[in-house]
Amino acid sequence: MTALAEPRRGLLGVARRAAVVGVLGVLMGGLASLAAVGFVAAIDWLNDVLRVSARSRMMAGDWRWLPLLTVAVPAAGGLLVGVVKRALLLADRAPGPPDVIEAAQRGHGEIRARDGVPSALAALCSLGSGASVGQYGPLVHLGATIGSAVGRLTPHGGRTLGTIGIGCGVAAAISTVFNAPIAGILFAHEVVLRHYSLRAFAPITVASTIGFVLANFVFGGDTLFRVDEVPRVEPFEFAGFVAVGIGGAFVAIAFMRAIMAAEWIAQRSRLPVPLRPAAAGALLGIVALWLPEIIGIGKETLRFTLIPEAFTPAELGLLLAAKIFATALCLGFGFVGGSFSPALVIGALFGALAAFGAALLIPGAADSMSAYAICGMAAVTSPVIGGPITTILIVFELTRNYELTTAVMVSVVFSNLVSYRLFGRSMFDEQLRRRGCDLTLGRDQLVLDRAPIRPYVSGDYEIAHSGQSPAALRASLVRAGASEAQLVDAAGRYRGTITLNDVLAALDAGHDGPADDLASWDIAVLRADMSVLAALRQAESDRSGILPVLESADSDRLVGVIAQSTIVRAYRETLGDLRREEHAAP
Amino acid sequence: MRRAAAAMLLLVLPVSAPTPAAGDRPAPLTIATWGGAYEASQREAYFLAFTEESGIPIRTAAYAGGVEPLRRRIEGTGPDWDIVDMTMADHRRACELGLLRRFDRRVLAPAPDGTPAARDFIAGSFTDCGVAHNVFSMVFAFDERAFPGARPYRVEHLFRPDAFPGGRALRKRPDALLEWALISYGVPPADLYNLLSTERGMRLAFRRLDRIREHIHWWSDPADAVELLGQPGVSFASGYNGRFFNAAVVEGMPFEIVWDGQVYERDAWGIVRGSAHVERAREFIRFATRTDSLVRQTRHIAYGPTRRSAARQVGEHATAGVDMRPHMPTNPSHMTRAIEKDVAWYALTRDRLEERFDAWLAGG
Repeated sequence: MTALAEPRRGLLGVARRAAVVGVLGVLMGGLASLAAVGFVAAIDWLNDVLRVSARSRMMAGDWRWLPLLTVAVPAAGGLLVGVVKRALLLADRAPGPPDVIEAAQRGHGEIRARDGVPSALAALCSLGSGASVGQYGPLVHLGATIGSAVGRLTPHGGRTLGTIGIGCGVAAAISTVFNAPIAGILFAHEVVLRHYSLRAFAPITVASTIGFVLANFVFGGDTLFRVDEVPRVEPFEFAGFVAVGIGGAFVAIAFMRAIMAAEWIAQRSRLPVPLRPAAAGALLGIVALWLPEIIGIGKETLRFTLIPEAFTPAELGLLLAAKIFATALCLGFGFVGGSFSPALVIGALFGALAAFGAALLIPGAADSMSAYAICGMAAVTSPVIGGPITTILIVFELTRNYELTTAVMVSVVFSNLVSYRLFGRSMFDEQLRRRGCDLTLGRDQLVLDRAPIRPYVSGDYEIAHSGQSPAALRASLVRAGASEAQLVDAAGRYRGTITLNDVLAALDAGHDGPADDLASWDIAVLRADMSVLAALRQAESDRSGILPVLESADSDRLVGVIAQSTIVRAYRETLGDLRREEHAAP
Repeated sequence: MRRAAAAMLLLVLPVSAPTPAAGDRPAPLTIATWGGAYEASQREAYFLAFTEESGIPIRTAAYAGGVEPLRRRIEGTGPDWDIVDMTMADHRRACELGLLRRFDRRVLAPAPDGTPAARDFIAGSFTDCGVAHNVFSMVFAFDERAFPGARPYRVEHLFRPDAFPGGRALRKRPDALLEWALISYGVPPADLYNLLSTERGMRLAFRRLDRIREHIHWWSDPADAVELLGQPGVSFASGYNGRFFNAAVVEGMPFEIVWDGQVYERDAWGIVRGSAHVERAREFIRFATRTDSLVRQTRHIAYGPTRRSAARQVGEHATAGVDMRPHMPTNPSHMTRAIEKDVAWYALTRDRLEERFDAWLAGG
């Protein structure tokens, strides 16, 4: 029983539950939010000190070491990332949002601090030194790490509370950095948990609100981008927003494919793994000498896309390609960070470019460039994170503009439609699929695939020994009231199944050899290390009621049997746990 | 070392204002300040009262911004000033260049209720070389007679000579012009300096200025702004809010301030390196930044005091009898799109900004 799973009746019970939800939500949300604020402040500070931010570069002026620094900082940052990953991380891949999603989907709710802390450190080195990666991926992972730890450390916490904690941490992080509490709640549900349970909803809402309160009233938050003036959108421009959505999907797919291609190239390069980020950093810095826009998160570029006069179409096209290249390079070659903020910049550049295109057909479209840029931003970002509703809500909460949100909604829906068909649900899901965690069929399959069949194996079965006579076997089967026996050799290895029917038919035919001849290998034989899902699939091919279970894929030792009806029970019970978690009372 | 030396001096000298022996009249203290209504307000609020209390006479010198005069002073050719009233941007720059003496904030007087000065001044008022004493703001005002119909009320209108015709009397410095140019694209104030730090932002700003190039009448001395606005053919002028207030409210000119996009900044006292009257200068700064002195200045000019204890006591103008609070730059209704001048940014980018600005001027 978990702390959140004891529904007690009565006023006292209600008060107790409200208190538990409140305290846990505040604790998880508060800590995750503080971590997010600290993380962002540390990045900003590093960017100023290391002359990555535009402001610090301007203030450095014509300082003659500036070009050298532009190349040296990302290269040194990359080296540090390589060292941190090698020394502190268990794998050479830093965990991120996909791992958060996996932990929540598998239902174990565990994100180890052992992974989370070095990963945040590596992300800080990456972002601080100006790598073209996003800050939200690491923030989501950091928030989830904190929430999971609090959940699991709570007395009687366990798996369920760990999972709820992940949701709380993620929601608080998003709510804090975007100043968008509703989007935080939706992100946790749409992207991470992927189901709505009242039990998780309450603490996640508390956590998200705490994030918002801390960001706004305590720290006076600085948001990603501000939109002071929102243009009027003409009704016929919605056709343009549909086009931006469809085009945005292709840009998003190109972006995601570019990252994967860069990973592929990096793996095939002869560069040692720890040196890869340094090489990418150096290359990034060299390109940045001509195109300073590509380093860092790109806040200024994002802001400029909202100004019609800021770019020529050619500049937009060049920057769009350069930013995709830079991000793919950094992520593919081992910098640690997300893909969300680069996707925002790429999307905004695409949207602004689309506005120039629209202006050829729709008079006045260039004046509402900021609307196109924001639509492009949402159209490219939502398929990358797999969160259409979250993206719409982020835009709504940042702009507080109803018309613009409606326009964004149109783009986002069409973009996701196209991208889902041609690529998949999101970058995260694709990364998970590649490491064998397929979420396309939903959470049920994933959990069934993880639930072991072993607890359902029964030891109640008849054994036929090698060399035993059919008559003796008949006697023992009749005595036990069983319809089949499992033939094992002297070492206990399974040699086949003998049914009572076979024994009777053999005796009728006057067979006098050992019963061994009657045994046939059951094609639906199960292994004890199989999952419920695999057992279920295996059982479909068998028409008998009882299946022998062998020790493992490489050992034929018989450990027991399992009835088909028991497999169905295992299926029902596994899903029942899931349903209870999803439909439990708050 | 310098800090240590300053601290030693403090130990030797009594901190509270000493009463000089009557009879021997001390040498006057030279204070460089901005002339016009502003200097008049300082005379009323600080200079006369200080001389009365300490017996030290005060002489003022005309100062119109920048650090050049102080630089020349170090080289031995500059004016013989003791104290200079500089904008925060110039003050910080002069401090960094070593043109001002180090200043120990412990010299400052506590608020009347005993709150130490360090907590009474608003955040960011202290520097290594001095202390900010008021908040003033660069705004633009228009001549009501020029716009009998629709009146300008946003920064954008300054850059629309088609809709709001007439000359624009602007200060011949990049300050505030770049900010207004970029904010007219809809850039939020909080993003301004980050965007101005990029080549693209700078280009956008100058492109906006191109629109009004042929309508500009340049001024350099802040006192000229008001005068230019009164002239026929000039419908806008940039300038300090206190001077426009003075012209409109005290002198009854038909001027109206556009508070949208006001660029506010602070003025700071600093002691000039090379001054022969360091102790007296310190004494003056202590006197002039006392709560009652700051309140006294608000009775003469619409600049907000930097001490919380003084801001609470802002009342009516000394002669015009109007409530001063709606005329203060810090009034909440003027803050919706106000720009806090990024003085740290200016302190380090000044030379390149000027260079670029000059190139733009020449390009016309």
